[in-house]
Amino acid sequence: MADAKTISDPSKVLLTVNNLGVHYKTRFGHTVQAVDGVSFSLAQGKVFGIAGESGCGKSTLVNGVMSLFIPPLFYSYGSVVVDGDDITKYDSEKLRVDILGKKISMIPQGALNSLNPTRKVKHFATDVMRNHEKNLSKAEIYERLEERFEAIGLDPRVLNMYPLELSGGMKQRVVIGISTLMNPHVVIADEPTSALDVSTQKSVIRMLLDLMERKIFGSMIFITHELPLLYHVADDIAVMYKGKFVEVGESDQVIFRPKHEYSKQLMEAITKLSTTGERHSEGARL
Amino acid sequence: MKQFKLLLRSPWFVFGAAMFLFCIFVGVLYPMFSHTDPLLRGALPFEGPSPDHWLGTNGEGQDMFSALLFGLRSSLFVGIAAGIFATIIGTIIGIVGGYKGGWVDNVLTLVTNLFMVIPSILVLILIANSIEKRSMLLVAFIIGATTWPWTARAVSAQTSSLKNREHVSLAKLNGYGIISILCMQILPYIMSYVFMVFIIQMATGILEEAAISMMGLGPYDSVTLGQIINQAQKTEAFSNGNWWAFMPATVLITALQFSLYVVNTSMEGVFNPRLRKES
Repeated sequence: MADAKTISDPSKVLLTVNNLGVHYKTRFGHTVQAVDGVSFSLAQGKVFGIAGESGCGKSTLVNGVMSLFIPPLFYSYGSVVVDGDDITKYDSEKLRVDILGKKISMIPQGALNSLNPTRKVKHFATDVMRNHEKNLSKAEIYERLEERFEAIGLDPRVLNMYPLELSGGMKQRVVIGISTLMNPHVVIADEPTSALDVSTQKSVIRMLLDLMERKIFGSMIFITHELPLLYHVADDIAVMYKGKFVEVGESDQVIFRPKHEYSKQLMEAITKLSTTGERHSEGARL
Repeated sequence: MKQFKLLLRSPWFVFGAAMFLFCIFVGVLYPMFSHTDPLLRGALPFEGPSPDHWLGTNGEGQDMFSALLFGLRSSLFVGIAAGIFATIIGTIIGIVGGYKGGWVDNVLTLVTNLFMVIPSILVLILIANSIEKRSMLLVAFIIGATTWPWTARAVSAQTSSLKNREHVSLAKLNGYGIISILCMQILPYIMSYVFMVFIIQMATGILEEAAISMMGLGPYDSVTLGQIINQAQKTEAFSNGNWWAFMPATVLITALQFSLYVVNTSMEGVFNPRLRKES
């Protein structure tokens, strides 16, 4: 089991994705190469941002990184190395027991709807812990849950509530709390703030960075199509287009001095407040 | 809890549930305290209703009132057990097929369809006929094993629409195993549906037991409502106009069916959002 409280191995490369390719098979037998030769690595305490338009393969890449190949999605080539092991070679049971939730965890896109309305928060969280550590007693589980919920700024009483009783921001925090319960090496946040208002977005992102700083999880892959948001969150940014990384660099460079034509277009498409009273952005006119 | 309160506000639900619970109450309590053996031939055949024999006697001279209440208990036992068997088998097949999809679903759907196209009463008669000593539990299992396909099909449809919900994805991403996902994430969602299916299966169980008992293929170790009618048929009570030998059992079977039907439809009115009335 990973350290129960925190991740503690500084300057360690936690994840290496090497020339990863994944494809979809259509019902007519055609192959669509959704992710093509993607490589990157992620060290402790770093945030790797991935930006790109809808349909460019960001979420498919996430499935590939987690080695969740559920038909019609299939593995093509490459490796995903966690703790020295290529997890693309794992069978689904080993992946479930050793990796998912434990070493790589994910905060999904529809986090607001990700809690089962028929079950209390504590039951969901308890199941997650029990699926990984069968020997934990009820008291140990509740103690750890309360501690974790306090850490993410939630009243432990939330554990006894149904999702319907929580606000959008609280649900998001609960999902983050549950996804980081096992102190994963890597948290993949797939557009975690897209459904939230601006002020809640800010507090959720601050909380994620704070959790990483406190070594509750090791590093983060942050996926969004909002480039300005990535600038504030990520150390490095990759711009994805048609399943490939067309540009990878430090966030300053990618945001302010993009090299690739597509990255430049993406930056130009950002809606800006006009000083001349024009209502449409450059991007919108394009 | 809120939905249960809504149910209690439905007069039809209260009526149906009260009727069914009353049948259970009488069916369980009477045989516990009665000292009359329903198989005892203690009077003349086909005596009409009298203070000694409230519902008269049958062609064998057995007290019809005792037979009816002992028969009610046995029929309820077979119906409830058959309902449990059919619901468990159908739910497991439906939930696994609906969740797994692909070839697993194809195979399970094929088996379900096969059971669906073969008339269950024929299978029931063949199986019952080939087994000599049929206990109540065995008869219930045979009924359950032939009536599960509708449950499987309905549960499978519900599961395949639920498996792509975000909460199921989150569970998968956090390392839930398939059994945990099915039991903790999907089953609670369809529990009200499964319970309604159980009520229908119970009604089917009571009816199917009556059907095969009328043909003389019921349980050997007890009196059931179907066997009372079978007895009346064998002793020509129908043609002789001895209504007390078959009518009370017929009315009781109808009442049980009606009460369960009313409970089911009123539950659907509460649990199905499309049918739910504003209150």
